[in-house]
Amino acid sequence: MSGGVSSLADPRPALLVDRLSKVYADGTHALDALELRVPAGSFFGLLGPNGAGKTTLIGAAAGLVRAPAGKLFVFGHDAVTDRRARLLLGLAPQEIHLDRFLTAREVLTYHGRYFGLRRQEAGERADELLDAFDLTTKAQTKPHRLSGGMRRRLLIARALVHRPRLLILDEPTAGVDLELRHELWRYLRRLHEEATTVLLTTHYIEEAEALCERVAFIRNGRILIEGSPAELVGRFGGERLEDAYLQAMR
Amino acid sequence: MSEATLHVAQRRGTLALAGREVRRVLALWTQTILPPVVTAVLFLAVFGGALGERIRQIEGLEYLAFIFPGLLVMTVASQSVANASTSLFQAKNEGYIEDALMAPLQAWQLVTAYMAGAVVRALAAALVIAIGGAPFADGVAHPLVAVAALGLTALVFSALGTIVGVWAETFDQHSFVAAIVVTPLALLGGVFYSARTLDQPWSTLTRLDPIYYLVDATRYGFTGFHERSVGLSLGVAALAAAATFTVSALVVGRGWRLKP
Repeated sequence: MSGGVSSLADPRPALLVDRLSKVYADGTHALDALELRVPAGSFFGLLGPNGAGKTTLIGAAAGLVRAPAGKLFVFGHDAVTDRRARLLLGLAPQEIHLDRFLTAREVLTYHGRYFGLRRQEAGERADELLDAFDLTTKAQTKPHRLSGGMRRRLLIARALVHRPRLLILDEPTAGVDLELRHELWRYLRRLHEEATTVLLTTHYIEEAEALCERVAFIRNGRILIEGSPAELVGRFGGERLEDAYLQAMR
Repeated sequence: MSEATLHVAQRRGTLALAGREVRRVLALWTQTILPPVVTAVLFLAVFGGALGERIRQIEGLEYLAFIFPGLLVMTVASQSVANASTSLFQAKNEGYIEDALMAPLQAWQLVTAYMAGAVVRALAAALVIAIGGAPFADGVAHPLVAVAALGLTALVFSALGTIVGVWAETFDQHSFVAAIVVTPLALLGGVFYSARTLDQPWSTLTRLDPIYYLVDATRYGFTGFHERSVGLSLGVAALAAAATFTVSALVVGRGWRLKP
């Protein structure tokens, strides 16, 4: 898999996390001085059990978590203090929350406009993404009238409207049927070939193995180890990434 | 990426979110604009038509002309709070506020956008009532003062509404402020009576009510009659608008009750 154009054009990592810690109001330590570097242009997988800190880390990068301790940079821009980081990042969260007053097309156009696209440009981009995600016939449908799979596709399309250089997908194929999962894989591979850095969290180890150039295992708010799937398999033994994952989590 | 690019994106994003809020108000006009108009008509009919026959004049003004500006202030205040708080609370409660929170907007821009829908709703309702109630008003003595007073009312209470929307964690809390704070303040704000004619402690209580000053300034705008300094009333209202807006922007900026 190619390293992507942006890795050549921009030496800064897509995501640089420096001793990031987050303690929630109820005392939960979600992140514990976490360190991570996601190279620009890479297809990066973040694997860990529920409660490991994946969603908190992603939320911190996207501005959905209150200021954590430590530093987090998106292509060199501080994700907490520099709003330019937001323009460079697109997030499809794990939970699907879509504006119920808008149609599918409007969800995309408004999102694009919130990120600075002109009205016409946002409309054209929305049509392009509706087509890419096979949602054109549902353009005028409100999100709550869409099936779960369609809502998931719309959520991923929304993350892409403003053409982010870093796309973060939090469990994008959870609850998605096999056919759609493979369609999404194809689309993500194409995006990656077009120089988008992709950070993916997933519970499907085979998904990470199939898509990701580099993978990090996360547990208890810390990165346990990071490397290519082959390196991780070599490090922990076994035949597949799943074996390495199970060994690492012991 | 330059700062200039970011500023352009933020300006467009703010306008888009404000547009979304205004669109929501207009699309739901039977829930947002019609009810306050009906309520104001009922107030005019009951207090003006029925009681007005007995009261006739107050402070030298026909009773309907006296209460009409206050009804507009009541409408603007209640609708501003209701719109901003409901829209933000819904977005928060249903989770789609993340769409706006992920955007590169500053906190004050988010607050401004949510206020825009509230201001449009409140002033649209007031405009419809003003047009419908024109026969009851004896012209507009100082139009600019009336517009300024109603505009400041909308700003103060829409900013307050955003704070309520952020603060509320349940529908009960959300309704509490409107029922327990805004409505009593509006009713004690000298809409239906002159504070000068009241005995203690009602006279003092009325003068402690911020809405009283907005009603008084608006009444001056419509009728030329006022009990307090109009300049002072508008000045205090402007300060109140700045204060509520600043508090709202700080609260949203910190992510209090919006982000874990």
